[in-house]
Amino acid sequence: MVKNITIFTTNTCAYCKMVKQFLTNKGFSYDEVNLDNEPEKQKEAFELSGQLTVPITLITKSDDSKQVVVGYNLAQLVPAIS
Amino acid sequence: MTKKIIDFVAIGAGPAALSAAIYTTREDIETVLYEKGVIGGLAAVTDVIDNYPGFADGISGLELADNLRKHAERFGTEIRLGEVSSIIPEDGLLKLVTTDGDIYAKSVLLATGCDYKKLGIKGEVEYLSRGVHYCATCDGAFYRDKKLVVIGGGNSAAQESLFLTRFASSIDILVRGDKLKASEILIEELKKNPKIKIHFNVTPNEIVGENNKVTKVAATNTVTNEPVDYITDGVFIFIGLNPNTGFLKNSPVALNEVGQIITDDDLKTNIDGIFAAGDVRQAATMQIASAVGEGAKAALEIREYLNSLARK
Ligand SMILES: Cc1cc2nc3c(=O)[nH]c(=O)nc-3n(C[C@H](O)[C@H](O)[C@H](O)COP(=O)(O)OP(=O)(O)OC[C@H]3O[C@@H](n4cnc5c(N)ncnc54)[C@H](O)[C@@H]3O)c2cc1C
Repeated sequence: MVKNITIFTTNTCAYCKMVKQFLTNKGFSYDEVNLDNEPEKQKEAFELSGQLTVPITLITKSDDSKQVVVGYNLAQLVPAIS
Repeated sequence: MTKKIIDFVAIGAGPAALSAAIYTTREDIETVLYEKGVIGGLAAVTDVIDNYPGFADGISGLELADNLRKHAERFGTEIRLGEVSSIIPEDGLLKLVTTDGDIYAKSVLLATGCDYKKLGIKGEVEYLSRGVHYCATCDGAFYRDKKLVVIGGGNSAAQESLFLTRFASSIDILVRGDKLKASEILIEELKKNPKIKIHFNVTPNEIVGENNKVTKVAATNTVTNEPVDYITDGVFIFIGLNPNTGFLKNSPVALNEVGQIITDDDLKTNIDGIFAAGDVRQAATMQIASAVGEGAKAALEIREYLNSLARK
């Protein structure tokens, strides 16, 4: 079971929008960290993913295990939320 | 088991397919679009679109993509988030192998656009998304007050460099030839921008890094034949586009030598019921306005085709 979801985004990132739309369509809510508004959180996004890109989606399960999905990657997102 | 047959399926949900869908749904033709990436296609990942008629002050790519999607959905278009991996003519129908399983259509529009070309040099794969990027609107924000190299000399390289100046402290644009192939208005903007320096006759050889971080682009000046290094924190590559037609390799749809789909003037391919529009088509002008125009034309041809099937 998914406990919570945080997505790191920017204003201009089309793939971020797709991840948000996908999760909304599936009935999930999420917290958003917009790196244009909070550039100081870039380091956190990089440390999670090891990559300089958005979207970064952090999925925390009810057993507190965490999974990070980089980009709009349905092959990883679908199993991560199921 | 009877199979569900869809009147019209478009592969891709970029400007060409969304425009076609506006027309087909208004004709009450059942319309399904398959999109593996971003709804709005390459238009959605472009910061500002300044030459799409009707938007005198320009429009952000994301906003245009959203408007196109809403417009198509308003008349009943269904957009499925998934990929089509093959198309096979079967018993007078078109079988599409998709991430949702096989589906059958009476008519299909191939509107899969293009993807970024890779340079194929050392370091490009190793540092992907960790210093090497192809999408400025996605990854540019990570380069606040950093030095960047942009590789390429066409419209995309020019447009994306200008966008990246929002973040970067300086940008070296490396151009293989001795001039830019961008539109005059973009060239003027590049020249005016104090953060941008353009270097001509430069062939990049390697993207070099240290401790997991990109540090420079090692290149050759092709006039002097001297090696030259460009110190940088990241590299954005915009050297052109390849048509997204890999999924057609086992299908009978005719492609030209660079992989673009061949059509006649009515946007028909060599296979009955399969049409193509937009950037993926041979002779495409690689502009949103023409992709949208071709989408509309393809829709009208598809309507005729479906009518002809009904008369049989
Ligand atoms: C950096 C950049 C800046 C640009 N700026 C401008 C500009 O200012 N003005 C302008 O007019 N044009 C501009 N363009 C060009 C413009 O974006 C394209 O001409 C236009 O998007 C083409 O539309 P399309 O529908 O043919 O293809 P695309 O927009 O490429 O859409 C095709 C879609 O098909 C999807 N797809 C591909 N294969 C499959 C598959 N097998 N299954 C499911 N889906 C699939 C892709 O994910 C994509 O979303 C720019 C392009 C770039 C790269």
